[in-house]
Amino acid sequence: MFRKILIANRGEIALRVICACKELGIQTVAVYSEADRNSLHVRYADEAICIGPARSADSYLNIPHVISAAEIANVDAIHPGYGFLSENANFAEVCDASQIAFIGPSAESIRLMGEKDRARREMAAVGLPIVPGTPGVIEDEQAAEIAAAEIGYPLMIKASAGGGGRGMRVARAAGELLPLFRTARSEAQQAFGTPDVYLEKFIERPRHIEFQVLGDRFGSVIHLGERECSIQRRHQKLIEESPSTAVSPELREQMGARVVAALQKIGYTNAGTVEFIMDESGQLHFIEMNTRIQVEHPVTEWITGVDLIKAQILLAAGEKLEDVVKDLRFEGHSIECRINAEDPDSFIPSAGRITAFHIPGGTGVRVDTAAYSDAVIPPYYDSLIAKLVVHGKDRAEAISRMRRALEMFIIEGIKTSIPLHRRILADPEFVAGNLDTHFVERMTPVLARPGG
Amino acid sequence: MKKKKKPEGPTSGVDLGAVEQVLEFMTQHGIEEFDYSNGEFHIRLKKPSAHTAFLPRQLGLPEILVPNSSTAPAAGSAVDTATPQEEDEAAGRGEDVHIVKSPIVGTFYEAPSPGAEAFVKVGDRVESGQVLCIIEAMKLMNEIESDAAGEIIRVYVENGQPVEYGESLFALRTTRRK
Repeated sequence: MFRKILIANRGEIALRVICACKELGIQTVAVYSEADRNSLHVRYADEAICIGPARSADSYLNIPHVISAAEIANVDAIHPGYGFLSENANFAEVCDASQIAFIGPSAESIRLMGEKDRARREMAAVGLPIVPGTPGVIEDEQAAEIAAAEIGYPLMIKASAGGGGRGMRVARAAGELLPLFRTARSEAQQAFGTPDVYLEKFIERPRHIEFQVLGDRFGSVIHLGERECSIQRRHQKLIEESPSTAVSPELREQMGARVVAALQKIGYTNAGTVEFIMDESGQLHFIEMNTRIQVEHPVTEWITGVDLIKAQILLAAGEKLEDVVKDLRFEGHSIECRINAEDPDSFIPSAGRITAFHIPGGTGVRVDTAAYSDAVIPPYYDSLIAKLVVHGKDRAEAISRMRRALEMFIIEGIKTSIPLHRRILADPEFVAGNLDTHFVERMTPVLARPGG
Repeated sequence: MKKKKKPEGPTSGVDLGAVEQVLEFMTQHGIEEFDYSNGEFHIRLKKPSAHTAFLPRQLGLPEILVPNSSTAPAAGSAVDTATPQEEDEAAGRGEDVHIVKSPIVGTFYEAPSPGAEAFVKVGDRVESGQVLCIIEAMKLMNEIESDAAGEIIRVYVENGQPVEYGESLFALRTTRRK
């Protein structure tokens, strides 16, 4: 078992990892930028090392500084959290070379899933359904036309090196194909350094459904159910829940089994999330895999009773999956709201000092946050300040609990997305479970303008 | 970093066999540091694995919530007492005191190689760009250059000590000419 772990991250996830380590009796080392000197993750770690100035590139993303800190603090392992270096295959390799365990999957798995079209091809080859589309990059206009005829309209032209919603164009009729194809290629070149694009069927009202997985070093893989993350704005998730109202027990079992088989074939280890898009007929199509722990992991933790961060640590230390997760069961319903420091209408980020901070409590409520009263939210990092997660015996109770908790969450001094979350939770379509990824846009049509 | 035994140097009166016995004793009993003085003779042995723990800082709590200093948890930097750097800056009023800080994370070495003479010591006059020390990071030796000219008035770190980004290394007195 690891004696000491360095957490290569900040904010709420750094604190989350520290919590798991404390409970496992593992010493913790925090790294921080100068802007995070007074952060909670620094306060609660056993040791803390300053690794650079505020700018992420010079601190949290600075591999030599992070590894150097790990060496001087003499740690056994590094937990990369989410974002930052968590899906950086090169970083995972540097950890290996430095004889520090990387708490996550192998560098090869990270690299494979990092190239989106290669990931699609390889997952299709091991049995996952994918969105009808071109198997690889479309080199020229003639190939584009042939592929489009097969896929049908509407279709999407996507940058291979894109992700998170960037580098995508929709063609709704044959006449639009070539001009958009040319535009997409030049945009991709500018934004990602390569003009490579592929074509894919476009789904008008998709639902975002993802499966949580865990794998050990001995070839075992399990899934821990799905999460629905359709409530998004500009491809950034706002609300997540488990289970999904659109996934029947049969679909969960069937797709879960296909996911497990596919990941066993590629030898996947540690935690990961397999993302699907569900079309209007209820079919699931694989879109990408995230080879790390996700922001919304608490939702799965609540319905399964499994501590996913502890599981990551134990699996990385060589434990068997059958010892780490016993008697997996799914109970009740869980919902998470990502409380961001931003204006709820304009979505402009709101950095500054929090003057009042009161976390809701009571039955079935969990708040993961590194914010506190009098804390200064710096402008250099993402705007997530707290994750409010609830659990109820069913979806109706979870909804009423979330409404109650949102009402009792006080954050003053900065603007937050709480008012927006309350509007969504009150919406009859949300209550009915009629979700798709354009939900928030429809709710806020004026404000969903690009640049708004 | 292994400390090699010097072939020459002040070994007169030192029984190296006894030193080796002490080292073995230290290893057997898991002792990291051994300090011995006897009249003129003084020896200090420190294992490379002994390192400074980076104790986290206290949050800036309002004064009424801070317990009195005798019961405050051992958390490294005290919030209310002056650090050596602050003392130097205060004492340097009237003259400019410039602190050279570490631009990287790593292990501080005062000399170009084990057993060699230190790059600089207190009292030395240095130029801007002059190499003051080495900081080792990921097996690479980085030469750290002074970003000011002046006289070294204090060295804050010890040879072999781990340092973080922004850690104070040297204080220079840079007297301004009008």
